[in-house]
Amino acid sequence: MIRIVTLERFDEGDIAFLSRTLFQSFGLGTEHAGQRQLPVEAERGDGRYDALALLDEVEPVRTFADDKVLYLTSAELSVQPGPLGEPPCWSYAQYGGEKAVVSLSRFPARGVSETSIETWRKRLAREAIHAVGHLWDLHHCYDARCAMHPPWSPSLPAAPEAELCSFDREKSERKIRLAKT
Amino acid sequence: MKGPPGRHEEPKEQLPAVEGVIADAGDLAPGDRVVYPNQGVCRITGVEVKEIAGQRLELVRMEREEDGAAVLVPKGKVPAIGLRKVATGDQIEGVFHYLAAQYDDPELDWKVRHRDNADRLIAGGVLGVAEVVKGLHALSRIRPLPTKEREQYDNARHLLVHEVAVSLGVPPALAEDYVDYALMPPAGVTFKLKPPPKPVELPVRPRRRPAPAAESEDELGLDELGLDLGVEALPEGAADSEEGAEPAAEGAVADGAATEVEGEGLAPEVPAPDELPLPEELPLPEEEEVEEEEEPPRIRRAAPPAPRAREARKPPGEAKPEKPGLRRGRFPAEAPAKKPAAKAPAAGAKAGARAAPAPGKKAAAPARPERGAREAKGTKTSKSGAAKKPSRGSKKK
Repeated sequence: MIRIVTLERFDEGDIAFLSRTLFQSFGLGTEHAGQRQLPVEAERGDGRYDALALLDEVEPVRTFADDKVLYLTSAELSVQPGPLGEPPCWSYAQYGGEKAVVSLSRFPARGVSETSIETWRKRLAREAIHAVGHLWDLHHCYDARCAMHPPWSPSLPAAPEAELCSFDREKSERKIRLAKT
Repeated sequence: MKGPPGRHEEPKEQLPAVEGVIADAGDLAPGDRVVYPNQGVCRITGVEVKEIAGQRLELVRMEREEDGAAVLVPKGKVPAIGLRKVATGDQIEGVFHYLAAQYDDPELDWKVRHRDNADRLIAGGVLGVAEVVKGLHALSRIRPLPTKEREQYDNARHLLVHEVAVSLGVPPALAEDYVDYALMPPAGVTFKLKPPPKPVELPVRPRRRPAPAAESEDELGLDELGLDLGVEALPEGAADSEEGAEPAAEGAVADGAATEVEGEGLAPEVPAPDELPLPEELPLPEEEEVEEEEEPPRIRRAAPPAPRAREARKPPGEAKPEKPGLRRGRFPAEAPAKKPAAKAPAAGAKAGARAAPAPGKKAAAPARPERGAREAKGTKTSKSGAAKKPSRGSKKK
């Protein structure tokens, strides 16, 4: 089961679209599990939120074995810099774990037209699939059409598809089959 | 019977030592973190003694950090399996500079690439793993990876991510972001890179030479059976050209070329009993010749002949003198000149009918020009194919 938790108010249509796409991608039931507050403890001095701290500090939701929790926020996230600098943080997931967070701060503007809203929703779905994919042990993929391709990659198309490549789809299916429940 | 040596045993002596490899199991202490090649980061939990198959073995017990799987390694095997310490900060920094450096020269030969990548994963240290990831990633920009290499790429990425995570003390998801930030930097981002570390040296593998055909024929004892692979029947020129081509084939791609040479030459060269080359001097029945010419070329191979026919066709004593005749027969230039000789009357026996391969072959040569072309190249396939022709026709009879 994938449980979506919003950290602020979201449009219901967006959540419904996201639930549908996640269900199609992983074959797992998806539901909106409510809304929580952004943890103040995770806030850094520059107005961004530390992604790791956010997942540690956020108020938990009730889960069962193999449940995955996806948090959605519009706050900008950050991670600690690596040997070559700080990678842009679109989302963060506990690899093979339970919780992931997706930030909408880097998305293109949602707009008001149907087309722009649909594009925005697709992008949201793609990043959500990416984060949940990490929760199911998926690594980044070199295929720019796959949702597991890094979101900052220059080869990513402007309106990427919210789908997994066949390799990642099979791998996730295998992992899900082998899960406890 | 002893099987082939294990993956870890075989190339160990040839591989250069990688930094951090544990040469003595005595260096290990409970709580140490080590990297087991192709398995990932493990934590030493202790040493225990077990009796296995009547032998008392001292085993180092490890626990794979990723999933808690238990790994037991005999103490004596520790230096051989390439167990090494977790990469240091300097090594990891070198890895990132290597990943971020320009790389546009992926190995295009899949056999070489797959073998080298397997060696790198086992004995290349963390840099070897990074080389696999970068090499396959670079290749994926040219064309999609085949399934096996896609899996290898994913495994290498998994190993690299976990080792980086352990070495830097960050979660694996973050380590993967670091790796891909170096591998696929966002548009407009440039790094101040240091010179990347020297690539991992791979062992020089001896290339397999295909066994000489004549030797293998002797080893098989085909002479005693009255069988002739026909290798000796090659014309001098053709034999020379084949000898000359052999090193070139080897030079190209070790295994692939060897396989190809074997595939074209040796495998089809083992003749079906009815394909055996026969002397052209033997008289051929006229009606046979006529039938052969009328008979359209058939693709299906003829069934093996009766034992009596085989005896008549190739008595052991006569086998040797037949070859010069055949050798002459292989020259395409001579083929038309010998055609009239094929019209010699036949004794009527089926064996005798089959015993006229050379004329029949020559008669068939114009009907199938591609065979003639192959024959001109002096390949073994063309020879055996040409030798088949008369026997098929006579078989029908």
